[in-house]
Amino acid sequence: MLFKLAWKNIIKRPFSSGLSVLLLASSIMIILLAFLTMQQLENKFNENANKIDLVVGAKGSRLQLVLCNVFHVDNPTGNIKMKDVTFLSKHPFVKSSIPISLGDNYKSYRIVGTDKNFLKKLYITPFKQGKLFEKPYEVVLGFNAANKMGLKLGDSFYGSHGIDASLHEHQDAKYFVVGLLDYSGEVVDNLILTSLESVWQVHFEDHQKGSFDLSYEKKHDHHHHHQKTNVVEEDKEITALLVNYKSPRAKFSIPGIVNNKKQLMAAEPAIEIQRLLDLVQPAVKVIAVLAWFIFGLAFFSMLITLVNSMKSRKYEIAMMRASGASSKLVLISILTEGFLVALIGAFLGLILGHVIMEIMGLYLTNHYHYQFSGFIFNFFELWLLFGTLATGIISAFIPAISAYNMDISSTLKKKI
Amino acid sequence: MIQTKDLSIIYENKRIDFPDIDVNQGNHFLILGRSGSGKTSFLNLIGGLSSPSGGQVKINNENIALLSSNKLDKFRGINIGFIFQTPHFIKSLNINDNLMLSQYFLGNRDQNHIDTLLEKVGLLNRKKDSLHELSEGEKQRVSIVRALINKPKIILADEPTSALDDYSCEIVIELLKNLSEENNSVLIIVTHDKRLKDKFKQFIDLDAF
Repeated sequence: MLFKLAWKNIIKRPFSSGLSVLLLASSIMIILLAFLTMQQLENKFNENANKIDLVVGAKGSRLQLVLCNVFHVDNPTGNIKMKDVTFLSKHPFVKSSIPISLGDNYKSYRIVGTDKNFLKKLYITPFKQGKLFEKPYEVVLGFNAANKMGLKLGDSFYGSHGIDASLHEHQDAKYFVVGLLDYSGEVVDNLILTSLESVWQVHFEDHQKGSFDLSYEKKHDHHHHHQKTNVVEEDKEITALLVNYKSPRAKFSIPGIVNNKKQLMAAEPAIEIQRLLDLVQPAVKVIAVLAWFIFGLAFFSMLITLVNSMKSRKYEIAMMRASGASSKLVLISILTEGFLVALIGAFLGLILGHVIMEIMGLYLTNHYHYQFSGFIFNFFELWLLFGTLATGIISAFIPAISAYNMDISSTLKKKI
Repeated sequence: MIQTKDLSIIYENKRIDFPDIDVNQGNHFLILGRSGSGKTSFLNLIGGLSSPSGGQVKINNENIALLSSNKLDKFRGINIGFIFQTPHFIKSLNINDNLMLSQYFLGNRDQNHIDTLLEKVGLLNRKKDSLHELSEGEKQRVSIVRALINKPKIILADEPTSALDDYSCEIVIELLKNLSEENNSVLIIVTHDKRLKDKFKQFIDLDAF
C-alpha cells in the first residue's frame, strides 16, 4: 500500500518526476559508459600488450611501433633489414622472435606477412577450416575478417597497397584463402595472415626503388613479375620483430642492445600502453566530473520536486495523520517516493548505458577492429545502484522531516 | 465516554475558555458557535490534534494528554473518525484506494466493509472514480465513509454541512446520524450552521457560554 501510494504520487506529477528520472538516468549512463569503455580499453590493451615483451622496429615513435605491430591500428615506423635483427633470434635470453611485415590490406583488413610461429606460439588459435599458409599468396583469415568480408575457403582476392583501404590494387597480387581461424577474442581475429615471402614478392619493386612509402599514391608500374624475380637475401625487410624473453634478466639488457643500434628501436608494449592510458585518463576524468555534475542536478531536481509536492499535499498529509497514520509512517511514505524515483532512474540509466555501449561498441568494433561489448557487467554497477538509491532517500529526507514535524491542527485550520 | 474539564487555549494572547462537556456512548452532540468562537480549536482539543494550555480531555477515562505522540496517533486512529468542512483526500488515489489507505494505517483490510459503507452513502458504483470528479456533497459523503471505516467509537465533525446546499445538507446529516447510530459511536458536530439546530436534542451554544 505504501508503495502504491508513493507510485501514484510520482505519476501524478509526470513532468517533474520525469525530469528527475531523466537527469538521474543520464548521469548514471554517462558514468557507466565512461567506465565500460575505459575498462574494456584497458583490458584489451593489457591483454595484448602482455603477450609480447618487446617490439623491435625502425626508429620513430615507440608508441606508434607498438600500436602498429601489436594492435594493428597505427602506421608502421618504417622497415628494418632482416639481417640486422638475426642476432636477436640467436640470443640466449630470447625465447621467440617472430617477424611481421606489413604493406597491404584488403577492404581495410591488414595483410600481415609473418611466419608460422605467429599462430603456433604467439596467438595460438584453432582453425575452423583449412590449414596454415605455405606457398606465397596463400592466406589465413581471422574470424572477424572472414565474416565481414564474406570470404570462404578457396576464394581469392586482390590486395590493395597501404594499410588502410585505398583504391590502389595490386592487380596481379592475387591471394588465395587456404585457412579460416576460429574466434579468439584477440587481435588476430581482424588480420589476414600470409607468409613473409608473399609480402616481399608484392613489394619487391618498391624495395628496389629503396623506399617504402605508406602514404603511397604515386603512379607506378603495376606489372610486377613475381614468378621471375626473387628477393635477394640481402634486401629482405620486415616491419618489426616481436620478441619474447626466456629469462626476466633480458628486460635489463636486450632493449639497451637494440636501441644502441642506429637503425633499430625497441619498445616494450606494457610500458607504452601504460603511457597511453595515462594520457587518456584525464579525459575520462573530465567526463566523470560532468556526470557527477548532472547527478548533482538530479539530486536537486528530486529535492525540489518533493518539496513542491509537499506544499500542495500538506492537507493530505494532515489528513493522513488525523486518520491514524503515525508521523513515522508519513516519513517512510515520503522516503519511499525518493527511493522509487531513484530506483527507476538507476535502472533506466544502467539499461541505457549498456544498450548505448553495445551500439557504440558496434561502431568502435567496425572502426578499430576491436570487439567492444555493452553486455558485460561489473561489480561497480552495484555500487552505482546503491549510491543512487541512497541519494534518492537522502533527497527525500528534507521534505519528509518537515512532514514529520507538521502541526496537524494548525494545518487543518487554515482553510484553502 | 468523553469528558472535558476546564479546557482553555491561548490564541493570539487571548485566553479562550471552553465549557465542560460529558457525552455518553451512542449520543449525538451539537456545538454551535459563530466563526472565531474557537469551536474548531475545541474540536481539535477533543480529538487530540492539539493540546490545551489548561484543563484536560478524558476519553474512556484516559487522559489523552498523557499519551506519547506515537501512542496518541494510534489512539486517535482507533477511536476517532474526523470529518472536516473541506474534505481532503489523497489526490493521486481513487476513492476505494483512499479508503483502503485509511484501513492500512491501522493494519485493517476489509473490502466488504468499504463496499457496504459506500453502498449506504450511494456511491458504490463510483468507487474507482478519482475524487475531483465528485461534487462537494458527494465528497462529504465519502469522508463520512472514511471517518467510519475503522469503526471508531467517536466521530468528530467540523462544519460538515456549511459548504453544502440544503438538499445535500439534508442527505449528509441524515447519513452522519444514521451511520454513527449503527456503529454506536458518539457523534460531536461543531458548526455555525443553524439548519442543524433542530436535528439534535443535545447541543451547546458557545456564543451563549
